[in-house]
Amino acid sequence: MTIAELVREAALEQVGYSADECLKCNVCNTVCPVARVTDLFPGPKYVGPQAARFRMGHTLPAQAKGLPRLASPDRTVDWCSGCGCCTAACPAGVKVAEMNSQSRARMKAGKLPKLRDWGLGQTDLVGTVGVLFRPIANWALANRPIRRLLHITFGIHHSAPFPKFSRGTYQSAWKRRQKRLQKQFGITAEPGPGAAVVYFHGCSVNYYEPEVAEAMIAVLARNGYEVIVPPQVCCGLPLISNGIYGEARAHAHKNLEILAGYARRGYKILGTSSSCIHTIKAEYREMLDIHDDEATVVANATWDICEFLLDLHDQGKLDTGFGPLPQDLPYHAPCQLRSHGIGLPAMDLFALVPGLRARDIDHDCCGIAGTYGMKKEKYGIAMAVGAPLFEKVRASGATEAACDSETCRWQIQGATGVRTRHPVEILLAAYRAADAADAAEAARR
Amino acid sequence: MPGADVVVVGAGLSGLTAALAAADSGARVQVLARGNAGTHWGSGGIDIAAPSGAATPRAGLEALAAVPGHPYAALSGEVEPALNWIRGILAAEGLTFEGTLDSPLQPAPTSIGGTRPVAILPTAQAAGARPWVSGERLIVCGVAGFKDFWPDAIAASLSRPGVWGGGSRPDGVVAVSVELPGLAARHNLSAVELARRFDDKAWRADAIERIATAVEGAAAGHAPGQGPGRVALPAILGLNDHPAIFDELRRRLPLEPFELPLVPPSVPGMRLYFALRAALIRRGGRVRIGEMIDHVECDGARVTAVATAAAARTSTVRTGALILATGGIAGGGIVADDAGHLEEVVLGLPVEAPPVEAWLSADAFDPEGHPLESAGIRTDADLRPVDRSGKPIYSNARVVGSLLAGGRLRDRCRDGVAVASGRRAAR
Ligand SMILES: Cc1cc2nc3c(=O)[nH]c(=O)nc-3n(C[C@H](O)[C@H](O)[C@H](O)COP(=O)(O)OP(=O)(O)OC[C@H]3O[C@@H](n4cnc5c(N)ncnc54)[C@H](O)[C@@H]3O)c2cc1C
Repeated sequence: MTIAELVREAALEQVGYSADECLKCNVCNTVCPVARVTDLFPGPKYVGPQAARFRMGHTLPAQAKGLPRLASPDRTVDWCSGCGCCTAACPAGVKVAEMNSQSRARMKAGKLPKLRDWGLGQTDLVGTVGVLFRPIANWALANRPIRRLLHITFGIHHSAPFPKFSRGTYQSAWKRRQKRLQKQFGITAEPGPGAAVVYFHGCSVNYYEPEVAEAMIAVLARNGYEVIVPPQVCCGLPLISNGIYGEARAHAHKNLEILAGYARRGYKILGTSSSCIHTIKAEYREMLDIHDDEATVVANATWDICEFLLDLHDQGKLDTGFGPLPQDLPYHAPCQLRSHGIGLPAMDLFALVPGLRARDIDHDCCGIAGTYGMKKEKYGIAMAVGAPLFEKVRASGATEAACDSETCRWQIQGATGVRTRHPVEILLAAYRAADAADAAEAARR
Repeated sequence: MPGADVVVVGAGLSGLTAALAAADSGARVQVLARGNAGTHWGSGGIDIAAPSGAATPRAGLEALAAVPGHPYAALSGEVEPALNWIRGILAAEGLTFEGTLDSPLQPAPTSIGGTRPVAILPTAQAAGARPWVSGERLIVCGVAGFKDFWPDAIAASLSRPGVWGGGSRPDGVVAVSVELPGLAARHNLSAVELARRFDDKAWRADAIERIATAVEGAAAGHAPGQGPGRVALPAILGLNDHPAIFDELRRRLPLEPFELPLVPPSVPGMRLYFALRAALIRRGGRVRIGEMIDHVECDGARVTAVATAAAARTSTVRTGALILATGGIAGGGIVADDAGHLEEVVLGLPVEAPPVEAWLSADAFDPEGHPLESAGIRTDADLRPVDRSGKPIYSNARVVGSLLAGGRLRDRCRDGVAVASGRRAAR
């Protein structure tokens, strides 16, 4: 093995050991969006690599898997939003954000989590109940006094952005659709891996934004792909970011078991949430320390939708018959997307749409960081972190913005009032614009 | 796989300069860097050359160009045009410099109470390098609770004539410390946090008032023979709104202020990075930070694509040319093992370096510096990396900045090498 390979391996290896690479140069502290706006968080270096030596401890194991041995001596680590900007900026390859997530989990291990933090991790439970009692739930979440009550009793900020529950879950809608197709066409067999992809829709699509799934399916259909939607549970990211690793691991194993079957048969697994997809690609292994064959097979098969479409384009297989969308489109790349390390595929795809004036806002973080900005004590920080982004979106005068992760979309839309969509929704609109132009042409003849 | 005409690896001064030059010539540029580096660690200036004995950067440049194997041997004619060009770009982003290749190299005070020879400096640091006239005093003004700047220690050290190397020096150095608003409860105050507070208009109005009061007090307290003088402040005067802040301070203070660069993270260096990055993005360039190069794809001697380590797989950018700006040993572009083997991490290029026996000097603070500083990649006149026989290894790869072999930190030529080689490589 060459030295370069060793260095690379060390950088990719165990999160905790990467603390040894820290030069204490403070670059991470300069890019931390949270430390930028509040004195409550001293910065990622202090609670991360600098505190790492206090977490090593002498007595070995009887410890939660993959976690530092001792709790963090610095409880301010809980102010870390987990955005990952520090890891990206580090000149030495230290996994600062990952280290901080793990020490938060260590700090909370063995204790009952706060009801609020646990609840924010229960996206399936909240979603199922919310969808079931949709009218009441949506009314309640838009009702000021009730939100104030939630604020006081549960600690969920009364102004935090909350989407509306949809009519039924996406899973049940999908099952109905399959039944209908079966009845109509008698199709029973799943299409093969060459003709179809597997969709990990995540909670946002399942309970709140089915239109994103519809857009993805339509865009893929345009390119000759069918979609398979297997049963699935929340990816576990909200649990990970609330330091509840044990339960997150259970979610991971459930999903891996289902997805590995498809991955082994050669299917690609696609997602429209850059956050869930990053969790499956990286965090199951890196944070939750699941290093079995299933985790690797699934990670290798898993793609962000825009990453996949751009790859199709690279092979000359993307239908680029986009119609004109003459509009300004401010785009925000979520932190989670940047952690994929794939650049900004949505921007590359937008460049294929005639007339579309997409512009990367180039701001570090919208603030929400999953569930962080929903918490009453953190809401103000989240809004301050995102403020320059909101300002730019407002100043653009655009009527729509785009972003790849759901909670960031809700945050941007909540703060600016500008309708914020997933990139595939924009691409679908561009395909439809082409159809409309064709239809108009046909009508004229 | 997105495509680019030029991929630059590294986002330090050399990488960003090369990217800017390429973008200026109409190329689609993608910068890929593992992280921030030299800009965030250095002084935010653009040092050209200050080998001992040189009176001006031009004299230093000529001396270094005559040293066999020094990067300036091939680049000396490129330095001045490149410097003027990059200064124009930076000025358009609001970051101005003072001094030229013919300005005298003057001992300017540092934040640990020493001096360093400089001639070309960002405007906010420039007054530190002007010759001192008789009767002129230096007031070192610190911020209470800020641990990276100790005004009493700095003043005590700068009061020793020897520190000034026999050149002109102030007639007396005094220290003052100011209590700035809202910092009393803060621990771990960093220069960046202070700079961000200065960006806030209301906060800085108060802060500047307090600095002015302290400086006026110190100036008056020093009474007899009231001469002119200058005020040295830690380099914390804003990040986004720096020129306006410096202007406000200059108009409010009775004496000429200047900034002293500090230990990392460097606020002046971040200003430099932000200005270069903004200029690049304005020209359609793209910057991805947090990207470790995994491998490079080639077709014979042509680099065709660069792949970075991504979540679950590598991410590939197809490219027409590659510029390596990974900064050598300090920047992470070259790594060493215990046995003394050196490796260039992106292309596995042969590294030119002193033998391992020479690495461990008897004196850890040897004024000559560390022998490994000069380790780097040997290139032809077009900056293409060459093999041991001097033949270019790749037809479309170039090496720039501190990754180039030759040159030592103590000669203060690294920034000039970065700018000159960066601009040349993109041609
Ligand atoms: C503490 C310090 C003080 C200095 N003081 C002075 C001074 O007073 N005067 C002077 O002239 N010079 C000084 N220098 C040198 C100067 O700052 C730089 O070396 C010079 O500006 C050239 O920088 P560069 O762009 O070549 O490299 P760097 O600024 O080091 O940048 C290297 C870049 O390459 C990236 N990189 C490295 N490896 C990889 C990889 N495998 N994959 C992807 N990206 C990678 C890094 O993340 C970084 O972005 C100093 C340097 C240091 C460290």
